[in-house]
Amino acid sequence: MSFRYKSALLSLVSMALIYAWFFVALVIHYRTGHPFNPVAHLAGTIVALAVIQIVGHAIIAGTSSDKYDAPDERERAFDRRATMVGYYVLIVGALLGIGTLHLGFDGPMVGDAVLFAIVFAECVRQSVFLIAHHRAA
Amino acid sequence: MFPIANNVRAEREARGMTQSELGAAIGLTRQTIAAIEQRHYSPSLEAAFRIARLFGTSVDALFQWEE
Repeated sequence: MSFRYKSALLSLVSMALIYAWFFVALVIHYRTGHPFNPVAHLAGTIVALAVIQIVGHAIIAGTSSDKYDAPDERERAFDRRATMVGYYVLIVGALLGIGTLHLGFDGPMVGDAVLFAIVFAECVRQSVFLIAHHRAA
Repeated sequence: MFPIANNVRAEREARGMTQSELGAAIGLTRQTIAAIEQRHYSPSLEAAFRIARLFGTSVDALFQWEE
């Protein structure tokens, strides 16, 4: 496995797990009125993700001989394909998030919906990159 | 599998090169060389010319279109 494959896998898994924790707590708050400080919770999520990414990438770099290699044409092609798919998912998700205004959602809920769209689009981007790697391995 | 067959593995092995060495010589990763040899990836025209030039052969001799 190349360094960039491991990096994408780490990013996908850490982002999916940490933001799943954030959004589950958010949904519980909206459904039950359980006390919840969204700013502190989001800040904690971002800090946790940053720490895991930094430590994880340091570990991956230590075990990868190709960590300094520039991406070649094949990896750039995977990246372009993943970014294109992720972009469309982001656009559709952002529009749906904004569309929640018409369902009577308030400002913070619309913001949460857009944040979910951003996180989901990034997860899709990383997934497409990993799938492209697998299919052309 | 891509419709473009190639003799990259045979030419590389005939010169006693590893996939990593070939990749380093033409600016591709070892994984990409492996993917080309297994016909899981078709290289760009530029990469095809680089490989052919390195082996002292033509692109036509190295890559063949298979229907």
